[in-house]
Amino acid sequence: MSPTTYLADSAQAVLTAILAAGQRVVAPVEQAGLLAFAHVEQAEQAQLIGQTRASAKELAFPRTQRLFGYRFGNPGVELLPGEEPPAPTVLFGVRPCDAAGLAILDGVFGAEPADAPYLARRARITVVGLSCDQPQAHCACTAVGLSPTATDGSDLLLTPLAEGVLVEVLTARGAALVDLLGEALRPGAADKAEVTARAEAAMAPRALPAGLADGLAAAFGEAAWADAAARCLGCGTCAFVCPTCHCFDVVDESNLRGGQRLRVWDACQFGLFTLHASGHNPRADQAARYRQRALHKFSYYPRAHGRPMCVGCGRCVNACPAGMDIFEVAATAAAGQG
Amino acid sequence: MRTETYEPHLMTVAQVRDETADVRTLRLTFTDPALADSFAYRAGQFAFYSAFGEGESVFCIASSPTETGYVECSFKLTGKVTSALRRLSEGDVMGFRGPYGNSFPIDEMVGHNLVFIGGGIGMAPVRSILVNCLDRRSEFGDITILNGARSAADLVYRDQTDAWTARSDVRCVKTVDPGGDSEGWDGEVGLIPHVLERLAPTPHNTKVVLCGPPIMIKFSLISLEKMGFSGEQVITTLENRMKCGVGKCGRCNIGGAYVCCDGPVFTAAQIAALPQEF
Amino acid sequence: MSTETLLTPSAPDTATWKPRLVAFVCNWCTYTGADLAGTSRTEYPANVRIVRLPCSGRIDPHFIIRAFEQGADGVLVSGCHPGDCHYTAGNYHARRKFMVLHALAEFLGIEPERLQFSWVSAAEGRKWADVVSDVVAGLLRVGPVQPTWGGAGELPVRSLSEPPRPVPEPLDVVGELRATAQRWLSDCRVDVFVGYGQGSLPGRLRPAFITSPDEVDQLVWNEHAVNNLATYLTRGLVKRHGRVGLLVKSCDARAVVGLLQERQIEREQVTLLGVPCIGVEVDGALAPKCHTCDSAWPALVDEVLSAEVPLTPVDGEGLAAEIAWVEKMSPAQRRAWWQAQFDRCLRCYACRAVCPLCYCSQCIADQSRPQWVSKSSDGRGNLAWNLVRAFHLAGRCVGCGECTRVCPSNIRLDLLNAKLAQVVRDEFGYVAGGDPDLPPPLTTYLLEDHEEFIR
Ligand SMILES: Cc1cc2nc3c(=O)[nH]c(=O)nc-3n(C[C@H](O)[C@H](O)[C@H](O)COP(=O)(O)OP(=O)(O)OC[C@H]3O[C@@H](n4cnc5c(N)ncnc54)[C@H](O)[C@@H]3O)c2cc1C
Ligand code: SF4
Ligand code: SF4
Ligand code: SF4
Ligand code: SF4
Ligand code: FES
Repeated sequence: MSPTTYLADSAQAVLTAILAAGQRVVAPVEQAGLLAFAHVEQAEQAQLIGQTRASAKELAFPRTQRLFGYRFGNPGVELLPGEEPPAPTVLFGVRPCDAAGLAILDGVFGAEPADAPYLARRARITVVGLSCDQPQAHCACTAVGLSPTATDGSDLLLTPLAEGVLVEVLTARGAALVDLLGEALRPGAADKAEVTARAEAAMAPRALPAGLADGLAAAFGEAAWADAAARCLGCGTCAFVCPTCHCFDVVDESNLRGGQRLRVWDACQFGLFTLHASGHNPRADQAARYRQRALHKFSYYPRAHGRPMCVGCGRCVNACPAGMDIFEVAATAAAGQG
Repeated sequence: MRTETYEPHLMTVAQVRDETADVRTLRLTFTDPALADSFAYRAGQFAFYSAFGEGESVFCIASSPTETGYVECSFKLTGKVTSALRRLSEGDVMGFRGPYGNSFPIDEMVGHNLVFIGGGIGMAPVRSILVNCLDRRSEFGDITILNGARSAADLVYRDQTDAWTARSDVRCVKTVDPGGDSEGWDGEVGLIPHVLERLAPTPHNTKVVLCGPPIMIKFSLISLEKMGFSGEQVITTLENRMKCGVGKCGRCNIGGAYVCCDGPVFTAAQIAALPQEF
Repeated sequence: MSTETLLTPSAPDTATWKPRLVAFVCNWCTYTGADLAGTSRTEYPANVRIVRLPCSGRIDPHFIIRAFEQGADGVLVSGCHPGDCHYTAGNYHARRKFMVLHALAEFLGIEPERLQFSWVSAAEGRKWADVVSDVVAGLLRVGPVQPTWGGAGELPVRSLSEPPRPVPEPLDVVGELRATAQRWLSDCRVDVFVGYGQGSLPGRLRPAFITSPDEVDQLVWNEHAVNNLATYLTRGLVKRHGRVGLLVKSCDARAVVGLLQERQIEREQVTLLGVPCIGVEVDGALAPKCHTCDSAWPALVDEVLSAEVPLTPVDGEGLAAEIAWVEKMSPAQRRAWWQAQFDRCLRCYACRAVCPLCYCSQCIADQSRPQWVSKSSDGRGNLAWNLVRAFHLAGRCVGCGECTRVCPSNIRLDLLNAKLAQVVRDEFGYVAGGDPDLPPPLTTYLLEDHEEFIR
């Protein structure tokens, strides 16, 4: 039995070995002043400090995905295949929150009846997580039961230590990748508790109250949602950058010869999201839409799955043009109930 | 690569019937005979209907599982996809994926008196379970049907309603809103809840199937409660906007319930327990 | 055939490729002229598909964008000569729109050959034939639209803005701000006061809605007061609260002017408190808009907070320098550069959500019948969306920079906006957000408007 932990010189060195093993790699790179996941060919391209603006979900759940195509015949219609998923890819340098986000998406899309287009992409992704040693001001993973070194969703997790980097092998897929890396990894173990503690200590204290899921459900009818959501512009940025948001729209694009059916990201913060053809809208104002966001993450989902549908990456708080803070709103709304 | 989750079956439009000026019924047959044999569904389930080039829309399956060899849907012209579906004629190809969702609890309805109430296009889901029950008539007690519409011109399934009225083993009433009657109208005049109170079905050992626009549901529920019906006795459907049908797209939820998976069929009692957001 | 080749314009076989030209023409002049060319058997290339509209004024830029999206290699727009419009002035209005569209296309690196304008009268069958032949010859020269833009080699990289400038110490106005808000609320002069409060992240402020005089201590002011609060005026604020007191910087006040001009709000509904401002901070440096801001003092306000404003001469080039930099690239490079920008667009529409002047209750990007802008976040849909957004803001954008600040993908929307503001200023002598009594530039025209770009 091979050991389940290894040591390596650095995260960079592991990446170099993965590239040398001929793997296709997607990792954080700097693009136009922000960090984004992109295809890399050299280890130096990867930027392993900081958090990407958008989450890693795009690789498994792209912004636009062809579900199938069609060609108009005369007579009839011929169906054409959906998107060919990208080649097997190592998703490198994924922060523990983002990796946990993928785990949540796996649950949503994997639940029967499973979502074949998602799973087809996901089956080709190996997640190499990278623990955080420098949390950001908006980080909140500890508030949702994760930590800067959490393993959820990663196939391998790299944790930088003083003496190098600890590599935890968490899944068979991770082990298969390790098999390709040869000398870059040496069997060995180390304790990451100190790194975890240091990172957690560097985080702004953020906590969610106990009984949040029930408190929020009880607060559903409160008028206070209108005040809570007053700032929200309904722009949807929060959902687009979130690693766990997965709402989508299905649209056709076509011309006279044929077309394709696509799924494209959507967001529950948009007024059109729930608008019926009759003009009736069950979530007629931003208060109702913001409440849906808060409750989906911190009440409906946890009641069904035992964990929040939030991995505490803080991206929505950081990116919101209006300074909305979902942790603050949720806690206040639930408290107003007590 | 297979993306069968969202890929529709190809169907041939076998028949086009206009119910009203803006409601049309399409009868669809599978282009693949193997599928035609294996396809099964239960009354109350829904499906996605594709007009290739424009998109897909959700309608309930309006035919009954006892009507084999085809499926039917009845839809009201409302927008992009429904306009495109109206451009199809017999022999054209369209897409169909389904069935999705739960269904009317027909087994629990066995042995009960049944009241079917449909308002406008809400008669489509009612029709499926109604025909299903009529085809198994002996298993049920009294059957009362109330088909209502804004005006005589908006009444769907008119011929079938007249056929049900002619039967001696059901009581069938059609009604239009006050002012909605026209020359030669031979049904009732009055809002559904009022006509319902006049019909005064007994709550004893009875199940009610109630589908229609939200406002009609709301007032019918009040009337039913007045007559002594409990929330468990009244079965209805919800129509939240849907894109996937399989609990992924995040659009149809009411609180923790996903209408596409946990519904569309709910009892009035179940609906009362949900957050009031529909 | 794969779906890609169905819908994505694939690189056509250059040997057999024939340019596809779509011509949008007015019914009265050009269409008749084209008809004359046909009946008098004047020969001209058969590559043109003619779409007839009642008037050149009806030729919406969306038609043009859509034609390109659907695979046209070029578009020709043609109507009656000035003075000849069947509806008197349709072509004068059109001329302004096309001027802006022409400039936008050029700025994006779309070859001028692909978008051409002409005046062709009913009698000018010959001219029509010549114009079409010439435009087709131009298209043959530039070749087919490439499936993806690019092929321009390594893209030029430039630091994002002028060298970052430090943000000056904010003026100390908080005391007077709170006192004023308190007075307004206590005197029932306003039902809500909108200012800035502390955000939940260090160093961030966020909009605050104060409805009671006891709450004014939540109000703060410093260099992080970035939001343009005027946006909230059209987002249900008036309906929800009644009379609004609004804190405005000079850039924000310009947006209020725009809303008044476009009759989106009534002057009585809003009481403006001006705050003297010498710069706000975006991404750790002085916001680009502040480099060229020529007044610390907002216009139009009902009251203004007092402060000693240090004299800061406007010496920055601001976005002009970057516009010039973009314009120095070859068209192909420019196209590739913008392609790389638009490729990142998530279609989150945050740019639209924050824009004080994007107030339409249904945005054209959300329409499904017809669907002007494809929803997919790929090259075509993103280009169309960004073009439509920029065009709709032409002559209206007040340069508050909010769209660029909030874009999660750092797309340089500010450059598009600023370029069109330049065009509108240079061509029509108009600066948005100045005088609430002036008509917006694209709703009016001058007989002597330039038309060198029209054949
Ligand atoms: C479970 C269920 C059963 C339904 N059964 C029927 C039926 O039997 N007959 C009938 O006429 N209508 C039914 N509807 C409503 C029907 O789906 C919409 O009226 C229809 O989709 C409108 O499509 P459109 O493209 O013409 O309208 P548009 O307004 O152009 O709609 C654009 C998009 O919005 C979606 N959409 C709009 N309104 C609704 C809505 N209320 N529900 C779901 N999606 C919507 C459409 O799918 C489409 O993708 C049902 C809805 C649900 C959820
Ligand atoms: S919470 Fe913020 S990011 Fe989300 S929709 Fe509202 S304004 Fe946009
Ligand atoms: S809700 Fe916000 S903090 Fe939570 S996972 Fe999504 S983006 Fe991150
Ligand atoms: S804010 Fe940026 S990413 Fe979002 S739609 Fe606008 S341009 Fe695209
Ligand atoms: S387009 Fe951008 S800069 Fe112009 S007014 Fe709108 S938000 Fe402000
Ligand atoms: S229809 Fe998509 S989740 Fe229910």
